[in-house]
Amino acid sequence: MSKTASRTQSAVLTRKGIQNSLVSVAGIIGRPVKDQDGRDLGKLLDFVVRHGGETYPPVSGLIVKVAGRRAYIDGARIAKLTKDEITLSSAKVNLNEYQRRTGEQLLDGDVLDHQIVDVNGLRVVRTSDLYLAPLDKEIRLVGVDVSFRSFVRRIFPGTFGRKPGVDQVIDWASVASLADDGGVVRTTATREALSKLRPADIADIIEDLEGREQSALIELLDPDLAADALEEMEDDELQGLLRGISDERAAELLSHMEPDESAEVLRDLDEEHSESILAQMSPAMAKQLRRLVEFDETHAGGIMTTHILIVKESDSVSDALKLLVEHRERDISDGVTVVDSKGKLLDHIQIIELIAAKPSEKLETLVKAPFPTAVSIDTPLEDVIEEFSNNRGSSVIVVDEKGKPVGRILADDIIDAMVPAESSGLAQGSGALS
Amino acid sequence: MSTKLDSRKLRLGAFLAVMGPGIIAGLSDDDPAGITTYSQLGAQFGYQLLWTLGISTIALILFQDLGARIGVVTRQGLIGLVRQKYGARSGMLSALALVLANIGTMTAEFAGIAAAGNLFGISKYITVPLAGIVVSFLVLRGSFARVEKVFFLLASVFISYVIAGFMAKPDWSAAAQGLFIPSMPLNREALFIATATLGTTLAPWGLAFIQSYAVDKRLTKEDLKLLRVDVWTGSLLTGIIGFFVVITCAATLNTNGQTSITDAAQAAVALKPLAGTLAKELFALGLIGAALLAASILPLSTAYAVTDLTGRPAALDDKANEAPLFYATFAAITVLSATLVLIPGAPLIRILVLTQILNAVLLLPLLLYMFGIARDGRLMGEYKATTRMLVVYSLIIALIFACVGTLLWFSIVG
Repeated sequence: MSKTASRTQSAVLTRKGIQNSLVSVAGIIGRPVKDQDGRDLGKLLDFVVRHGGETYPPVSGLIVKVAGRRAYIDGARIAKLTKDEITLSSAKVNLNEYQRRTGEQLLDGDVLDHQIVDVNGLRVVRTSDLYLAPLDKEIRLVGVDVSFRSFVRRIFPGTFGRKPGVDQVIDWASVASLADDGGVVRTTATREALSKLRPADIADIIEDLEGREQSALIELLDPDLAADALEEMEDDELQGLLRGISDERAAELLSHMEPDESAEVLRDLDEEHSESILAQMSPAMAKQLRRLVEFDETHAGGIMTTHILIVKESDSVSDALKLLVEHRERDISDGVTVVDSKGKLLDHIQIIELIAAKPSEKLETLVKAPFPTAVSIDTPLEDVIEEFSNNRGSSVIVVDEKGKPVGRILADDIIDAMVPAESSGLAQGSGALS
Repeated sequence: MSTKLDSRKLRLGAFLAVMGPGIIAGLSDDDPAGITTYSQLGAQFGYQLLWTLGISTIALILFQDLGARIGVVTRQGLIGLVRQKYGARSGMLSALALVLANIGTMTAEFAGIAAAGNLFGISKYITVPLAGIVVSFLVLRGSFARVEKVFFLLASVFISYVIAGFMAKPDWSAAAQGLFIPSMPLNREALFIATATLGTTLAPWGLAFIQSYAVDKRLTKEDLKLLRVDVWTGSLLTGIIGFFVVITCAATLNTNGQTSITDAAQAAVALKPLAGTLAKELFALGLIGAALLAASILPLSTAYAVTDLTGRPAALDDKANEAPLFYATFAAITVLSATLVLIPGAPLIRILVLTQILNAVLLLPLLLYMFGIARDGRLMGEYKATTRMLVVYSLIIALIFACVGTLLWFSIVG
């Protein structure tokens, strides 16, 4: 735990002045708020933070219990903040009941004891405490404590419960708080930190988060990264997640995923839900996915990927290489599929053959045996598997009734198809009690 | 397999998947301690206190239903929500009390298994470790759907109480009167047994379990209808079985003046008119089924609570290295309570009585927290409880407060 802490302590927290002035939010909640003459005005209930682009969000106001009401006091009127009490610069209090405005987040109500993502530790934790300190002329949220020790500390009454455990504090910039209500504290720093994570790690984090926090994280991520993470998730987890986010966002994410993976997800959703997601997509994407969804998983059309790089025999080698470079991030870009002038399948040419050939050469000169194995869309899965084992190739090409290539089946698609469907859907969730 | 067939299959599958947890969570309240309490209720007071069972069943239905709803809507376990909404102290104390109460209750289940094994002449040093291993293995590794059926089969022996209830020729009009017209002898025994009935029917672990389970299995608002059917069925069944246990004991033991029974095995005598000499064996089997059913829920409920408190919710699908806390808690609860039963001379009776009190006391804050969560619009959204439901919840909570308060007063004052 302390290892994490020291690793993530940044410049702000190591400043001597800041360390000594840290105020524990958990400790000061419930403590007195006084006017400039030291008279008790009321009891502190919460801190209000406005969400903006800043790494260390400033406290914009206080919620104080005055005469039985939850009164709002502007943060600019805080004269002094110690770990035991708050002193204001004037005694004027507006007795209107506090109403939450959009973009406002309550530190005790929304962040403390809620889940956050510790980006450096790659885990989901509940916040045990939050720390405020004066920084750049304002009181700001600078640190967060996720240690179990500090959580236990808070159970004790008196000053012991308010003593900040400075060695356990990690920089606010190194966590992603996912409070809802549009009050998400989205700092550029957390966004950047999240974008450096591997999709598989993000998938683990997503699975550890609960409802609202989960949706909030998805909203926060770059769609490409989110889509990659989603591809790493278990089917039933993924379905639960899609039910929790808006159709619009779901459509965006599914459009960024590999079409065969998206089709598989859509196939498992109930029809109404998948239709409302498809309705939010671009017509072309929706059409492609609808077609894929139609094919069932026991036939070639249902397990193929539609990402296939098609070139004409009259194109040159350099055209083909250019296309490959454009699609380099796709893991299936191991070669191009050559078709004749009518669009019928001729050959699949490996990238190595293209590199070896002269750039100006026409692709037709490279078309020769061994020719790729082709199957039609409605070939049953067993026959596809047989083709694979007969030819020992790494892929087969799927053609439609006119002989035009429409997709490819890679070895991993076969593996996916062969793994029994028992872990799909709510019906047979793996593990006990299902 | 066409897509159409697929979706139909999925729907049926969804129904079957959701069916179960509510029934188990409900029926596990008919564990050995529950059956003993119901037998005592009938043996000591005849039909008079049947209404306490009726109220307990209504309370069980309402709060199990609420727990399932909170789990589905907030997608958080009860203990995590308590920490989030009511602060660190409340969260920690509830979790701590739940862990202690669950260890005690788990000990009671193992003690029930030991007693049942004894009836067959098998040593507890064999039955208890075996039960611990079987339950852990099945819940963590196996397909619970199949296991469930075995447990139901075992527990269905209690259906014999229903038949026995008819054969014992109970006074139906007295039973109806006892069920619908509340009356209460104002003495310590009556108060004690009434509170015990409430406490054994509406158990903290069951409330925590149903909520965490809904979260773990990612049940959604669409599943809520099915889950409700399941929860209501389970709770009603619990009440019905309890009802027949009470009237069987009322018609036999109470009528014959045998009013004091100390454990569930003694209540087996009530089954004599039905099963004759086989009564003992039949009852022992039922006891094992009921105990195993509850024993499969308790460690799960505890493990969910602990991981939820720390904010690292774990699921049954997680591997041991992904969720060390979850599995460590599961193992610790099982091993600890099995050991308590096996240590020669361990103060078992005292542990069981303390557990019953702890369960009853813990129930109060948990119900209040659930009440608070149910009316929190920010958490529950459109599923926020209506004013009418809130009034019903408060009435039940007030009643339980009165019972537990009186019981505590009696236990302290003596």
